[in-house]
Amino acid sequence: MNRIFLLPVEVPSLLRSALLLLCLLSLSLVAVAQETATVCLQCHSAQTGRGGKAVQPWKTSIHAANGISCHDCHGGDPKDAANAMSPARGFLGVPKETGIPAFCGRCHVGIREDYLQSAHGRALGKGGPTCVTCHGSHEIEKVTLELINEKSCSRCHPYERAAKIKAAMEKTEQQIVGIEGRLDRFKGEGVDTETADKSLFAIRNTYHRLFHEVNTARVTSESSKLQGELARLDQSLQKVAEQRAKRKIAGTFVVAGALVAALLFHLVRKTYD
Amino acid sequence: MNLAKRIYNWVDVRVGAGELVEKELTGYLLPTNINVWYSMGSILLFIFSIQVVTGILLLIYYVPDADKAFKSVTFIMNDVPFGWLIRMCHAVGSNMMVLILLFHMLSVLFMGSYKSPREMNWLSGFILLTMVMGISLTGYLLPWSQLSFWATTVATNSVGAVPVVGSYLVEFLRGGKLVGPPTLGRFFALHVAVIPATIAALIGAHLFFLQRTGVSTPPFGLKDTTNRWQGDSYRYESHPGGIPFLPHYTLQDLTSISVYCALFLGVVFFDPYIFFPSTAFMPADPFQTPAHIKPEWYFLPNYQTLKLFPSEFLGIAVQGAAMTFLALLPFIDRGTEKHPLKRPLFMACATGGIMLYFALMIWGHYS
Repeated sequence: MNRIFLLPVEVPSLLRSALLLLCLLSLSLVAVAQETATVCLQCHSAQTGRGGKAVQPWKTSIHAANGISCHDCHGGDPKDAANAMSPARGFLGVPKETGIPAFCGRCHVGIREDYLQSAHGRALGKGGPTCVTCHGSHEIEKVTLELINEKSCSRCHPYERAAKIKAAMEKTEQQIVGIEGRLDRFKGEGVDTETADKSLFAIRNTYHRLFHEVNTARVTSESSKLQGELARLDQSLQKVAEQRAKRKIAGTFVVAGALVAALLFHLVRKTYD
Repeated sequence: MNLAKRIYNWVDVRVGAGELVEKELTGYLLPTNINVWYSMGSILLFIFSIQVVTGILLLIYYVPDADKAFKSVTFIMNDVPFGWLIRMCHAVGSNMMVLILLFHMLSVLFMGSYKSPREMNWLSGFILLTMVMGISLTGYLLPWSQLSFWATTVATNSVGAVPVVGSYLVEFLRGGKLVGPPTLGRFFALHVAVIPATIAALIGAHLFFLQRTGVSTPPFGLKDTTNRWQGDSYRYESHPGGIPFLPHYTLQDLTSISVYCALFLGVVFFDPYIFFPSTAFMPADPFQTPAHIKPEWYFLPNYQTLKLFPSEFLGIAVQGAAMTFLALLPFIDRGTEKHPLKRPLFMACATGGIMLYFALMIWGHYS
């Protein structure tokens, strides 16, 4: 929309004025459109150094996909450029290493508790990993079992125990991925998935809390409970799928009825020829 | 004498129903070489009726409030008995109305039925096309989905390219600087009251002009295919020895409407989602612009044309010129020949125009 173009000299002055006015109009429209972005993104997107580094990774993150923007974590005023980073407006900035679990744990409360009780959390400040060691700071991906992998875990310790936990959780992961796919399809067809989404959200959270558990027996027993709940959720979605299949069967009869009516009208019409 | 006949006689002696049926239906004669394309108008009347009925049913549960609109449509789709069917019929029907309207216009163009003395038939039909586009555009916002919100943002932005008053027009349309709750109120009023009433009035005018000029003779299967109206006095084009509207052509209309129903219901039951990208089922979020927001298929040529020109003003001006040319075609094309194969300049322009329309549509879709 925002274009700069050269005006040929032969363009009449009235037309040139009109085009200039249009340029200004289109610029003002762009300005209006940009009001929807936070001032954090407006400034940091334009920065080339360290300040602009976080924007692009954030755009691809699960936080961006869920509408969690800069100010949701770092505080500040996303509507006032002059005071966006004012502590008086709640700006927190970047946390210290030992403060990271508390920083992320404002939203991910249960995960923070699990982390602090785990071997990872107990090593906080003593060379142990924080949330961002495994999840990254701005490029945070949707949590999947792929986060547990030899390359990542082996940075600090042997991979064996992590591999056992991963194996115990794989079936749950598959069920979750399958249900997510089905829900996505349903959402794209106007099905009200709010209740199922909430159930899956709760199950997924419980499942994610297992990620920070290092007791293999507990992971196995919790996983089987979760798999039962997921199977029930899947059954309720299956009923929706069956109802939609029935609509298509009804549709076959309705369309056939219309075609038969067309044929009959045509034949009756022929009798008048 | 059975009851039905007694009722008919009771009405007949009071209002002359028999005479009316004889004059307007059984005695209303059509050209012997009339073809299936003449059914398009009846199909359009049928679609408009379906849109009115389904629209009224949707109004029972729809809430024109930005906070509640999306939820109310979700409720209609999931909890109201047959709500999904009513909503899908309404949404798919709007697309079908534009499609059949374009077919109707093309048949009139190719058969030269727009030529004098039918200038007013053509003009009223052309205004009807723009009204149908308008009702589709305003209806698009009502579900308050991501698609409707952002497509309306893009569409109303284009109006800003009008010189001098553009920004005021945008603000007037939106009821503010951005698309928001006041826009929904405005579009709702236009969609359910102003435009339907205008369309109904225009349909009345269109049928009145048709009734006064008579049905035009198709140029196919005849030796003389020229328009013989001199323009000196009023003349009703009658068709002595032609086929009666009732029952002959009514049965043809019913056949065409049934075929249309099969096609329409096929889309509704089997794949209505060809008209709905997934963003159509996500609630509007002014802070999150979806990637690749595209208008409906019938606005894609306009959308792509706007992108082709270095400024939106030029894009709008070119489209305005094309639309004006099309609206005034009966006044520009004064030739008497009606057969398309005997009008090489018309054929070249029309074929080129259709190809350009489709090319821009496909380009707009994939751009």
